[in-house]
Amino acid sequence: MLKAKSTLGVIFFPAYDWAISETHPEREERLLYTQDQFREEGLFDIQGITEHRPLRATDQDILRTHFCFPSVDAIATESHRISAGGAIQAARLVLEKETRRAFALVRPPGHHAMKVVQGNRGFCNVNIEAVMVEWLREHYGQKRIAIVDTDCHHGDGTQDVYWHDPDVLFISMHQDGRTLYPGSGFPEENGGPRAAGRTVNIPLPPNTSDEGYLHALEHVVLPILADFKPDLVINSAGQDNHYSDPITNMCFSAQGYARLNAMLRPDIAVLEGGYAIKGALPYVNLGICLAMAGCDYSAVLEPDFNPEQIREQPDTMNYIKRLCQQMTDVYFYPKPGSVEKEGHYFIRNRDIFYDTENITEKQREELKDCDSCAGIRIIQSRTRRTGACLGIELPFNCCPACEQEGYERFNRQHDGFQIAQMLDRKNKHYAYRP
Amino acid sequence: MRIGIDIGGTHTDGVLVDGERLIAAAKAPTLYDNLLESIGRVLSSILLNQDPKKVTTLNLSTTLNTNAIVTGNIDPVGVLVVGGPGIAVETYRVGSHYHLIPGSLDHLGTETAPLDSEELQTVVAGCFEKGVKTFAVVSKFSPRNPVYENLIRAHLQEQADFISSGHLISGQLNFGRRIHTCYYNSAVWRNFYTFSTALMESLQGFDIEAEVNILKADGGTMPMARALETPVQSIFSGPAASAMGILAITRTDTDSLILDIGGTTTDIAIFAGGQPLLEREGISIEGRPTLVRAIHVESIGIGGDSLLQVEQAAVLVGPQRLGPCMARGGALPTLMDAFNVLNLAAFGDVERSAGGVEALAVRSGMTGRQLAAKAVDTAINAISAKIEDLIALVNSRPVYTIHEILEDRPIAPAQLIIIGGPAAVFQELLRTRLGMEVVVPPLYEVANAIGAALTRSTAYLDLTADTAKGKVSVPRLAIYRSIPRSYDLDTAIGEARSLLIGDLEQAGVSISPEEVQITQADSFNIVEDFYTAGRNIRVVAQVQPAVIAHIDTGNTGVRVNSRT
Repeated sequence: MLKAKSTLGVIFFPAYDWAISETHPEREERLLYTQDQFREEGLFDIQGITEHRPLRATDQDILRTHFCFPSVDAIATESHRISAGGAIQAARLVLEKETRRAFALVRPPGHHAMKVVQGNRGFCNVNIEAVMVEWLREHYGQKRIAIVDTDCHHGDGTQDVYWHDPDVLFISMHQDGRTLYPGSGFPEENGGPRAAGRTVNIPLPPNTSDEGYLHALEHVVLPILADFKPDLVINSAGQDNHYSDPITNMCFSAQGYARLNAMLRPDIAVLEGGYAIKGALPYVNLGICLAMAGCDYSAVLEPDFNPEQIREQPDTMNYIKRLCQQMTDVYFYPKPGSVEKEGHYFIRNRDIFYDTENITEKQREELKDCDSCAGIRIIQSRTRRTGACLGIELPFNCCPACEQEGYERFNRQHDGFQIAQMLDRKNKHYAYRP
Repeated sequence: MRIGIDIGGTHTDGVLVDGERLIAAAKAPTLYDNLLESIGRVLSSILLNQDPKKVTTLNLSTTLNTNAIVTGNIDPVGVLVVGGPGIAVETYRVGSHYHLIPGSLDHLGTETAPLDSEELQTVVAGCFEKGVKTFAVVSKFSPRNPVYENLIRAHLQEQADFISSGHLISGQLNFGRRIHTCYYNSAVWRNFYTFSTALMESLQGFDIEAEVNILKADGGTMPMARALETPVQSIFSGPAASAMGILAITRTDTDSLILDIGGTTTDIAIFAGGQPLLEREGISIEGRPTLVRAIHVESIGIGGDSLLQVEQAAVLVGPQRLGPCMARGGALPTLMDAFNVLNLAAFGDVERSAGGVEALAVRSGMTGRQLAAKAVDTAINAISAKIEDLIALVNSRPVYTIHEILEDRPIAPAQLIIIGGPAAVFQELLRTRLGMEVVVPPLYEVANAIGAALTRSTAYLDLTADTAKGKVSVPRLAIYRSIPRSYDLDTAIGEARSLLIGDLEQAGVSISPEEVQITQADSFNIVEDFYTAGRNIRVVAQVQPAVIAHIDTGNTGVRVNSRT
């Protein structure tokens, strides 16, 4: 019988009773054929590969990560809680050393959900990786964490959650934002003023295939990881770079995905997008599982796989090589972005569009340039649905001055905000006003 | 009247039951090279002064096939496998005639590479040349499309004595398990066939005209005609017979645990709401996972004859067994001797127990009582830990819907039923340790034979429909036909139900529609290019193991005749 070189826990949760809508790509059927493939291959008969139930993320698990307006229940349905709970289970398995690695094969996905959530963006309500990371930091202490997002779409939500966090390195490899939703993810986006270089965006041209993708992994991602020395590597494992994906334009294969995982060696992988549910997902997911477990994956091939047909054109390959030559500088020699500052506060003003729900959020973020701690963060957020909302975040190492300021702002009466949320990591206090 | 016979490792047990009444019970030693003799002795005893013509049913649980595998008394099997992309086919190699035929089907059953018929001919010719006459034919994703298995079968038909086809063995997806199941099915077939012929002749000698059924590992039975098609299903039916016997004796309808404590091992099974819990996919044979459905039984290497050893002040109990306890003439002290020392039992020669335990204790600076107490503690702790692990395992089984995550009722056994030789000794100890009601039921010596007598047929099928392709398939019944676009989940459930009833009817068993359980019923929208192209429907139907009557234990007055 086959035996895993590294034990692997798989949280397989297809949510067979949940869909965004009947014909939406994010629907009940999405992981059905993956499960057929797993069953027929006898994946869980391999010694060392085990199947686990997801946990369920509580209000507290979500509110320590997100500002949810108007309320956590309005944002997170049971499906989101269980999907995030699947990621939490993956982290628990690894940190409790029950398995060496874990793969949360759960839906719905989460990497477009930002720090503030006012609704669904790009099929995502709750950032399941971020909820997982904050859960494990709360239970196992502040860790250095690297999140490598290999979904075809820029992981703008995860980037936003960790924009100011120097202990979380976020690397996203994706199809160039000039050609695909959400239209962001350029090298200039390299992290906030106190976390410069901790966000690395690698926009790959359309039709990038195995060689180009793995070139970027080898020449940009791996050297940066070697320097950052994270305690944990997390892969946001979107599968929509696949050559047969209906909503993207890349040419990645199941073999490519498997090799990516063999090279990256993530401790935890979390499923993100991927909607070629018959032709790609069964093979890609199998390849990822076998690679993570250290098993032979060389025969995991799509029936219509033809490497010659999907290979990059020479000029695409040249473009990727040139791009990669400059990319490590983003991390090693980060250029300061244009930072707006009012008094002691860094200011960001943004409009954020929620495509699924067709609403626009107006957001103003203030981050205190505090010498004694990571700094209080104050976010004002407004949509036509919720009116004016206020979010206050106090960091783990919050200093007394920031703490006092935060609670003063939170407890202020008649300040014009309909809803205010306190996200106090130091005292583990997560509450709404009123 | 019904007869139940369980041919176990050491004993062959038999009972005669009329309705709820146990009429007679008997035990005989199991004679491996003459099982018919063991059966004959038991039958003579229980049929004494009875009219054998009144026996309507004879159910037999036998270790014949298990034993054939263990001793290597099996046929060479030509294993012909069609793989395709994925985990290498070589992984599942079994037997000395294992061959890969190129070709491939995908998870929808669509052909993605043609079958290499030249290679097939070469391989088959080679097998016949070597005198191989039984075959196992398995292709990847054959439950979705049996075309390759049927093709190879047709190619073999004339010259083969017996062929196991993957899709007919089980509709469940699991390529490796399907290969192993078919292999063992073919490997034991000839021996089983010979036995069944002799058995039928022998029953005629007893004037028994009853229908004969064979026990399966899932606690149900199959008619002899079916057993000749799938003899592999009879493997490991012994523990299942015991579990069904407990059900017949205790009428348990709550969540409960069953402990069968023997000389060497303790077997633990779990009942949810009075129904035995089955393995998720199937049992392993010689370490190879199969699709043989079975009652989930966990074994732990602790029993009455488990050897006591001292290692760095810790007292070890089992898993070794070198002989019987000293109280029964053994050479070294065992767990049973420890019970004697603590006055928890008074079994056999209590003095010998005391002497043996004392001798072991002195060497490590303990008194006999100290050592015995530690030994009993170790054993009780190990059994309790195993029980807790099993409950945790059962309650953490994966589920795939939000509804199940939110609504699933955890299994919480409140009752422990103990059977086996040393059962009574464990009763109080386990009650204290686990805080559960602990029951030692009557008649447990022949629970296995009672279970065999009173259990009914079980059956199982998977139905998959794809209205976009316009096809429905029920692999185990070899049904692959066209359906209209209007075919929906309710139609599928109705069809699965009536097919299962019809299947059992054909085997001579009649059940009512309510007895068919639908364990999965899902309908998925198949979406192509953002419009709904049809529905993918999955239905699993089963008839659970159940006993047809409960034994009246009030005052049976039946003594087990052990002098057969």
